[in-house]
Amino acid sequence: MALCQEGATDGGATVSDWAVRVENMSKKFRLYQERNQTLKSAILRGKTSTHQDFWALENITFDVIEGQTHGLIGTNGSGKSTLLKCLAKIYWPTSGTISYRGRIASLLEVGSGFHEELSGRENIYLNGSILGMTKKEIDKKFDEIVDFSGVEHYLDQPIKNYSRGMYVRLGFSIAINVDPDILVVDEVLSVGDEGFQRKSYERFLDFKKRGKTIILVTHTMPVVEEICDSVTWLDRGTMMQTGPATEVVAAYRKSLN
Amino acid sequence: MSYFSEIWNARELLQNLTNREIRGKYRRTALGQLWSLANPIAAILIYTFIFSFLFRLPAQVGDPSGLDNYALWLVCGLLPWLFFNRVVILGVDSLVLNGALIQKVYFPRIVLPLALANATFFTWLLEMGVLVVALSILGAFVAPWIPLVVVFMAVFWLFSVGVAMVASILNVYFRDLSYLLTIVLQFWFYLTPILYPVELVEEQSNRLGGLGGSSITLLNIYQANPIGGFIEIFRNLLYDNRFPDLVTVLIALGWATLSIGAGLWLYAKKERLMAELL
Repeated sequence: MALCQEGATDGGATVSDWAVRVENMSKKFRLYQERNQTLKSAILRGKTSTHQDFWALENITFDVIEGQTHGLIGTNGSGKSTLLKCLAKIYWPTSGTISYRGRIASLLEVGSGFHEELSGRENIYLNGSILGMTKKEIDKKFDEIVDFSGVEHYLDQPIKNYSRGMYVRLGFSIAINVDPDILVVDEVLSVGDEGFQRKSYERFLDFKKRGKTIILVTHTMPVVEEICDSVTWLDRGTMMQTGPATEVVAAYRKSLN
Repeated sequence: MSYFSEIWNARELLQNLTNREIRGKYRRTALGQLWSLANPIAAILIYTFIFSFLFRLPAQVGDPSGLDNYALWLVCGLLPWLFFNRVVILGVDSLVLNGALIQKVYFPRIVLPLALANATFFTWLLEMGVLVVALSILGAFVAPWIPLVVVFMAVFWLFSVGVAMVASILNVYFRDLSYLLTIVLQFWFYLTPILYPVELVEEQSNRLGGLGGSSITLLNIYQANPIGGFIEIFRNLLYDNRFPDLVTVLIALGWATLSIGAGLWLYAKKERLMAELL
């Protein structure tokens, strides 16, 4: 865990307190021309693989201020999903550091680790613990999760009998109740029907109002303009601009035209 | 140390994943968990028929228990083997099969092979419970030995899960491994004194003498198998009702430490790369 020092102190006079600090972060992937994932080819060639290095992210540096909503924008292949996965601790930076102040949770998919044969109730505990909640926390939030998802009548049914909508709503309700200090989200805001989408959007605003930090990847510029305070714009793995949402979005829009 | 505290913090997750394996497995079956006893029972019937009835392999006499029953003698060695076999076979794929989850959420990946091993351990406990009842009915005095049996079950758990952990990471690099392992485990099974007593190997070894003019005998090579020692310990405790040989115990402890040490070391080192390798 050398790369994430939680609660690290900031030297000097600070403008505002950062919740997430990314410093000179780079991420390299190996692209395999022939991935020798078989013993035969490893033995025959006497080496495990031939590869090319590909820098998905280079020298990314920005702060996310506590209580702000920070958007990551860029065209496809700009590296924003890779950056999100680094922030979510799924990928580890090749160099540079990411530091956090507070508890972080990521929401890149709903219903991670759901088991089809188990009931909704059992899956709430399973999924909740995968997302980092303790049993006590889940007990406390249980009714809220069930209420929000609207699946209370089917709670003891195996979730393979759930409709796609119910499945997604249950997954989302668990995730939104993790209640971290910092939430890292992929474009999963838009799940369920219109009514549920409105409900979950309100939950996000509520989360924001309570002073929590959100980092969000999205393609939808109106969403960025509406809820993001600051934005980082990526292009082919390098950082183009970071700063107040309106400025960066305007520059990004200009580049597209 | 921070890696250990991370694993410790994930203990509730481990518990829930273990429950997922146990409860999810026999859902919608009429007999439920009883199915887990079906495999060992089938194996016992088949092996007893072939080796005791057809091949007339003499039953080993328990000293001092006085037991004289091939089937029971067999089971005391077969159940630990079946546990090891299942932990490794399930564990080797534990990262590859959970690839989607690994790429979406961060949690200590080590809980994946651990959860499978724990769920399998639960099954093994049931099997051993049935065995203890059977042994008691047929004349062994097992009760005083139960605590030691549990201790060595835990040691064997460490050994097995260590092998599964190493295999699961290597399998991410070489997907052949999971197929290769099923064959390796077949050889391993027949090269371990489970179906036959080690004395039969000793006889042949004495006949051959030192191999290739050296002082190394066939028996020396045969006894390098770490599982042989564990089987001997379980048979001493359960079937013979006596203390196992101290040297055998020390070697078994050594293997368990080596195995779990290698597994933890590999996970601490490679775990964070798993998401991009899968």
